[in-house]
Amino acid sequence: MAVSNFYVFLLLLGIVTITKCERLHEQIYSSIEGGAPCFRRLNGTHQAGCSSSDKGAVGVIHMVDNISDAQWLVYNATEGPYMAVVSTSLFYDIVELFMSYPKNIAGVLIYDNVNDSATSFTQDSRCPNEYSSGPGSLCSSSQAGGVVWNEKGTGLLKRDIPFPIFFLPQSRSEEIVKIRDCYERFNYDKNNQQGRPLCSAQLNSFMFAAVSSEVCMRRSATSTLLSPTKVCDPLGDNNVYYSLFPGTKTKDSAKKSVTLVTARIDSASLFDGVSPGSASSVVGMVTLITAAATLSQLIPVTDSQLYEQNVLWTLFNGEAFDYIGSQRVAYDLQRAAWPAHAPLTPADIPLHVEIGQIGGSVISHLNDTTWPLHAFTATQIVSETLKFLNSLSTYGEMYNMTVFSEYTTNLPPSSLHSFRRILRNVTESGDLGELLITDHNNTFTNMYYNSALDDYDKIGFNYHNISISSDGQFVPTPELIANGTMKENELQVKISRLSTVVARTLYQRVTGKDYAGDVVASAHLVDEMLYCFLRSQACRLLLAAEYAQGAGAEESLPDRAAPLYVGVATWPATAPVFAGHLLALLTGTHLPLNKSGCDAQKEEGFSNYWLRGWNHTGVCIQTTMNFSQALSPAFIIPDYDLKSGIYSTWTESVWHAMWARVFVSAGGGGAAAAGAAGLLATAVAALLTYWLQRHASLVFLDRAPASMAVDDAASGILRTVNC
Amino acid sequence: MDLSRLPNDKKLQLCRWYFRVGCMFLPFVWAVNAVWFFKEAFVKPPYDEQKQIKKYVVMSVVGATTWIVVLTVWVIIFQLQRVAWGEVGDALSFIVPLGRA
Repeated sequence: MAVSNFYVFLLLLGIVTITKCERLHEQIYSSIEGGAPCFRRLNGTHQAGCSSSDKGAVGVIHMVDNISDAQWLVYNATEGPYMAVVSTSLFYDIVELFMSYPKNIAGVLIYDNVNDSATSFTQDSRCPNEYSSGPGSLCSSSQAGGVVWNEKGTGLLKRDIPFPIFFLPQSRSEEIVKIRDCYERFNYDKNNQQGRPLCSAQLNSFMFAAVSSEVCMRRSATSTLLSPTKVCDPLGDNNVYYSLFPGTKTKDSAKKSVTLVTARIDSASLFDGVSPGSASSVVGMVTLITAAATLSQLIPVTDSQLYEQNVLWTLFNGEAFDYIGSQRVAYDLQRAAWPAHAPLTPADIPLHVEIGQIGGSVISHLNDTTWPLHAFTATQIVSETLKFLNSLSTYGEMYNMTVFSEYTTNLPPSSLHSFRRILRNVTESGDLGELLITDHNNTFTNMYYNSALDDYDKIGFNYHNISISSDGQFVPTPELIANGTMKENELQVKISRLSTVVARTLYQRVTGKDYAGDVVASAHLVDEMLYCFLRSQACRLLLAAEYAQGAGAEESLPDRAAPLYVGVATWPATAPVFAGHLLALLTGTHLPLNKSGCDAQKEEGFSNYWLRGWNHTGVCIQTTMNFSQALSPAFIIPDYDLKSGIYSTWTESVWHAMWARVFVSAGGGGAAAAGAAGLLATAVAALLTYWLQRHASLVFLDRAPASMAVDDAASGILRTVNC
Repeated sequence: MDLSRLPNDKKLQLCRWYFRVGCMFLPFVWAVNAVWFFKEAFVKPPYDEQKQIKKYVVMSVVGATTWIVVLTVWVIIFQLQRVAWGEVGDALSFIVPLGRA
């Protein structure tokens, strides 16, 4: 018996192995891999971004290849709702139609086509951070027309979108081929779709938070029995700062006056995980780090006693969302709480220079050596600003670099707005001079501001891949040009020259005299740094600037650019850490200490970092670089009214999972047939039962039950049981 | 339990007991009491305890109905107004809905 059972089992096993082992689920659905979903963010009063329903949005696929397709979808299509598949180049033209008539739109799948990529793509507002602008700003996104900073901005980043959107980058073009195949097989005859099986898609990006930051923070704070505790987190991360000389705690008289030089780290995009920020932020950030490195070569930190001036280089984070980083710094300056170890007051800072968005126009100057820049300042009366501007122009002329002065209170989006709002008394009186360097005048030259397409090719970056010597020496720019490695019209050379100009201007400001030496910023360094922030974290600079692990532990960094989206405050991002470590490595003093000695050594105003170093053996860096929290004051002030609109209140919703898949939905014929058959079977059964009951005497033998006579005793028992 | 097999005094005792339990914010017990003893109170031929049973049944009916009305009104008000109440609405919620107001 047991043996025969065993044979039966073997036979069954054989049958099962021969049969194709694919789950029914996998036969029906084909998942769309590598899509970046749009998610929900909230501010004090509104929700923005996308969410699907709990189960995901389902719609019939329609490839939107021109505007009339989109119009058909909105006005004429009958088998809705539809999943619109749109290329980035067409998106700008059709999105307002979808936003106005979302009834027939289940969701949107945007794809970037290699041959037909968008010439502009920006989901930020026409006036970025409009509601955190300082006094004198004229940009208005609500008014139609008019001069605005971000002309092609759809504003979706800060609008509530009634359907989910997924973005497919160029690297995922095979998914679009798959979708188009399916579409052409089933949906192509668009006037004859009724009752047929149709190619459909399901997008799931269900967001937990809703309404506003006020509501979601409240719901996150109170935990109820059956609800998850957290539905949203405040946006925020770290600012990075580094000062030429260490700050001192000494009072008033001995305090050096500080020139604040700033740029932003972060970029943003509507979609999760894709915010390359090349032109929006990286060019500015790289310029700042290179200039800081150059200045530290011009003025050694040991010369601290010689000068009455200091330079504080700061990288702000979260600037895309109502200037989180700079609002916090301005707020902390106001209450004398920043930098933590040697707090400054606004009175200590006579000049603030921001290296703003300077990456937009480089692509149009790829074939010439010029790079026209604009220096914005709100008032002409501040002598500090004018002096700086003059020497900037003078040094700039040496490199064929023109800096146009723009005197206007209508300043482009930049951290200056935070200072002008929060430290209004000092900025208006001119005690805190302000200067903003950009590459545009009335409107952005960057057509991809804060978007997923703001990629390295949008600034014409071409990596040269030159090795770095083991002592961390970079090939000087003149040598690179002389030996033909780089040309004068290249981005790397231009950035290095701008960094040199900024460094020399600051040298002149700190020392009071012109720089006579020949130290310049290296385009080689710029080349490497751009590669690190735009192409791959597994780059020479970041490998050297990483925390050194134990012996031989070569932890590899991912071969892609670090995301520049600020993210949530509870989850530290890598970009500011990289930027900070780079500043430390390039500007700090290398101490001849081993790891334990490095950790033990302490000096007032400095901190020590044990980094991997150029030859990856570990190096002790003494630096003034440090991090400070970039979390909006709104989330640290007790009982702050999130609706008041004074500080940034952006939060990001929590989500469980985000996915997309394609399948062929049934035409409905099968389901209708099954329903009809069921109905029929029920009716037949009912009729049959009725007939049987009526004619029971014909079917069954008519014989009186024998138990009838003794029924009485049993019924008594039954009655007690049946209570 | 079959009421018809109980003596009349036990029926009264049972009905009274159900009414008292219902007083502890248990309107469903009142509703059961009302349905269960309805025939005893109003249909059966008269007997001594019937008057009192009738009294308890009537009180149970009134009590249960009041509860139902009050609860229904509250549920309607709460469902319609929870969002508008904001913080209070969330505080009163046992399950806070995800992804919506």
